[in-house]
This record gives sequence, C-alpha cells and structure tokens, in this order.
Amino acid sequence: MNLNLTEEKSIYLQISETIEDDILRDILLEEERVPSTNELAKLYGINPATAAKGVNLLVDKGILYKKRGIGMFVQTGAKMQIVAQRKSEFYEAFVTRLVAEAKSLAISEQELIDMIHKAL
Amino acid sequence: MNNVTTQTLSCTGITKTYGKTEVLHGVDLTLEKGKIYGLIGRNGAGKTTLLSILTAQNPATSGSVVFDGAKVWENQEALDHICFSRELNPMTSLGQNSFKVKEYLRMAATYYPNWDNAYAERMVKEFGLDKKKRIAKLSKGMMSMVTIVVALASGADFTILDEPVAGLDVVMRERFYDLLLENYTETGRTFIVSTHIIEEAANVFEEVIIIKDGRLLMKENTEELVASFAHVSGKAEDVDAATAGLECYRAEKIGRSKAICVRTKPGDSIRKHTEKYDLDVEPMNLQKVFVALCGEEKQEAQFA
Repeated sequence: MNLNLTEEKSIYLQISETIEDDILRDILLEEERVPSTNELAKLYGINPATAAKGVNLLVDKGILYKKRGIGMFVQTGAKMQIVAQRKSEFYEAFVTRLVAEAKSLAISEQELIDMIHKAL
Repeated sequence: MNNVTTQTLSCTGITKTYGKTEVLHGVDLTLEKGKIYGLIGRNGAGKTTLLSILTAQNPATSGSVVFDGAKVWENQEALDHICFSRELNPMTSLGQNSFKVKEYLRMAATYYPNWDNAYAERMVKEFGLDKKKRIAKLSKGMMSMVTIVVALASGADFTILDEPVAGLDVVMRERFYDLLLENYTETGRTFIVSTHIIEEAANVFEEVIIIKDGRLLMKENTEELVASFAHVSGKAEDVDAATAGLECYRAEKIGRSKAICVRTKPGDSIRKHTEKYDLDVEPMNLQKVFVALCGEEKQEAQFA
C-alpha cells in the first residue's frame, strides 16, 4: 500500500485509489481479503470513518464485497473493471490537459503527435 | 464499536463572564458518542473555558450542559462517564504543583470508575515518565504525556484532551495520534481534542469544531469542510468574474494577479465556476481553511 498521503485530494479518495492501484498491480488479488477499516486507519493515521468511506466507495462500485463477520474482499473481475474505468477517464484526466498545455505553449498538432510517437 | 447508542453530551445557550468580560456568548453544541472531534480556535477564543464548562469543572454564567438527558453539574453519575484531562501547570492557585506523577495518577484512578491501571503503567513506561518526579519539575512535553496517560487510561465514554500535544516533539505527536486511534478503534469512545497544530491532526478528526471569539463558528465533517474550499488564482478580472457571488476569504492582489479562498455550498463545485476561465484552482488543507475563516483579512497590497 502506498503510504504517502498527499493534501492534493480527499483522503477517502486516496484510500480507494490506493486499493485500486494495488489490485491493478496484483498486490491485492481477486477474492483476497483487503485490510480492514481499522487496519487502514492505523496504517495511515486517519480516522476509521474516513477509511470506511474510501472502502465503501469501492463496495458501491462492485470492486470489493463484504463477507459478514470476516471482512472485505476483492471481487472477481475487479481488475478488468478498474482498467475499463480508468481508460474511460484517461481522455478527461490526461489527454485534454495535455492538449490544453500544448496549446498554451503554441505546440502544433504535428509537433504534439511527433512527441507522442517518440514517447511510445 | 458498532452498538448504536444515543448517548450525547450537549450544551445549550452557554455564556460565561469573567468579571465584566463575557468570553462565551451563547454556545450550542451536541457531541455524539463514538466520534473523534477536533476543537480549534485562536488563542483566547474560549476553547478551554468551553471544555471546562462541558465537564462541570467550571460553572457557566447561563445555559445548561446535559449528558444522556441529565444535567451534568454536581451529577457524579454523569461525570463518571466524562474525563477532562486538563493541561498541567507547574503552578496551581495554591502555589507550586507539588504532586508527584504517581500521586496524580492515583487520584485519577480513584476518580474514574473505568480506569485501566495496567494500560496507564504501560504508557508511563513507554513515555519514560519518572513517577517519583513532582509535576512542577516536569518539562512541558512530560506534562503533556501525563495528561495523555490520564485521558487514555480513564476509560471515560467522553474524553476531552486540551492541547495534549503542546510541547511534544514530532515523533511523540505522531505516537500520540496512533495511540488515540488505536484506543478509539478498540473502544469506540468519544474524544474531543483541542490543538493548535492543526494539519497533523486533520486526518484524525471525523468532525471539526471551530470556536471564534466566544462563538461556535461551525461544527462540520472535516473532509467535507476541507473539500468545500478552494484556492483560486489568476488574472484579477477572471478571478473576480469566476468567484462573483461565492463566499470569499482573504483576497490578495499583486499587480494584475489575484488569489482568493473560496467556499462553495454543498452540491456546488468550484470547477463549475472556474472552467470558463484560465485559472489555477488548488485544494486547501484544514490549516489553510482555518486561517481563511479565523485569520485577519489581508490588506490589499499597495503595488502596481
């Protein structure tokens, strides 16, 4: 788990994104138990209610599910679901910002495409 | 931790006058069981006075404090559930504070029916406190450690810590918040913590209570409060156009640029107001929100 929380974003969102990142990187596997709210609270030094908010966000999305009395588990298919969701956000989160910055620097369309090719 | 109870500690219409000066001007506040509250306010805002009134250690000039439906004043049954671990001073009204640490802890043990002596001993050892030392001879940090031991070991359902991290080094401060969270997750007790070192504590507080000039300014979910604020900067006319009609604080103008703290209402988002303009929109932290709400308004820079 990424132990370095920033101030840039709500803590509960960072908690849910960190769990998603761990699922993407196979640090947390499908059908495996994820740390409990109290464990997350202790690990990050945050209020358990905040940790629960982050975890519940993933339950609502169907990425985690609750086993009564045992804990939270990674849903089968969670990894694919996260990839699909991040792909759909990719345009908004990265491409539009990239283009906006390129425009303000007067980078031409061709120059931008060349740069992307170079980076690939 | 999951048992639902309606236990609350609340006060209504609290005023307090010292001599001719009124320091609290009608405070209404309800604290629910099972939360960690942060109490913040500037020096002299009335935090300690309010806390001492909530715990019946200081009579209010008017208004009432109720725990679980019963008045708190001179009600030992209610006070058994409430702990106020005050800041220790080398001097008391009776002269030097000549109690030894162990005597102070023994008094706490007799006062709080749910006192956990083994836990207190463990903390005394971990903190390296010399129990034979007199309170007056302790450093500021050591005094804070004693108040922390008393608060955590008291076992009281509602536990108030007044500036528990004053004088502690950064390692001890982090250790304190770890211990607090550990105790909280195990017991579900309610904690009210006042502090001036706001940012370190922000993630620990489920709700934050802000006292300003003897009044309750707000009591809000910490996360939601911080998320409702943003720092907006850019070309002055764009900043003005984007933030027109919004709740604004601490405007700062330098030449053609302007920066301002903005609060949006629930359901609104700052992006909606700024997306048409080329502006920098940055999130704020609790400390910056506090300064925006309780700091002096900035003078407009005489420049350009």
